[in-house]
Amino acid sequence: MAVNVLIVDDSAVMRAMIQKTMILSGLQLGEIHQAANGREGLETLERQWIDLVIADINMPVMTGEEMIEHMQTNPSLRTIPTIVISTEGSQARIDRLQRKGVRFIHKPFSPEIIRDTVKDVLGREVFHGRSH
Amino acid sequence: MDAAISRILSDVVVDTLEKLAFLFAAPLEGPAPEDTRELATVRVRFSGPVCGGMQLSLSRSVLAELAGNMLGADDGSALSADEQHDSLRELINIICGNLLPMIGGGTAEFNIQTPFIPAAGTSAAGEFAPVNAVSNLSVENGVCLVSLQLEGPVPTQGPVVKGGRMAGVAGGVES
Repeated sequence: MAVNVLIVDDSAVMRAMIQKTMILSGLQLGEIHQAANGREGLETLERQWIDLVIADINMPVMTGEEMIEHMQTNPSLRTIPTIVISTEGSQARIDRLQRKGVRFIHKPFSPEIIRDTVKDVLGREVFHGRSH
Repeated sequence: MDAAISRILSDVVVDTLEKLAFLFAAPLEGPAPEDTRELATVRVRFSGPVCGGMQLSLSRSVLAELAGNMLGADDGSALSADEQHDSLRELINIICGNLLPMIGGGTAEFNIQTPFIPAAGTSAAGEFAPVNAVSNLSVENGVCLVSLQLEGPVPTQGPVVKGGRMAGVAGGVES
């Protein structure tokens, strides 16, 4: 099964870093979509089949937290696995996201953290070789 | 100037440069360079239990290396100015995001605004003078100069470090 991923971050460099990490992780990737804020992320989710959302929190126009709240109100979006990759340091805000079923990765991240978190969320079946 | 916060700031900058872009930094020996033309500068504002701003200036040669390492490019200087500036904005965003909980406490919620590149010709001290904490580092063949301004007193829990509160500053710091 190829996994379609949506990366939402206002930094093009960070989106590129995350995309490169995903490619190197051994994940069986389908399409990779990118969005620069939560609003664009929601628009992409309405148009495309997405299996995994990776989002930042602090973004202009619409934050990642607001985007996740919108996803939760939409039955067709609320079950999409979501990983937040952010500099966020507030445990209160991290706890609030985790109560919504979101996984959290702190910036700066290592490629291994992303690979292992995706593996936890989606399972080994979606990785090439399954032994990564 | 607050020595305790300056120490924390330096630790966060060193850690971020290393983890984000494999750049190794050490305390700068001697004064910071007066000629800022070879430096690329970025600023960010934040609000929360304590408000303020941060400014970071990086040697342009180091910025090219930062962007190249972040993007996996062999030659960072071949990257566009937009890509290099985006790397710089992400660097200060990560430094600020990691620093603030150490100052305001782990339960404090901060809002970090989008970092921006100040217009050319803006004074080196910038809009964030006077500063409360400074970290001057040497990185590769250049420098990384970071300054922090806090508006108002630091929350009473004071600066914290992993595993506990920093000794000597638990009562908070007047800026």
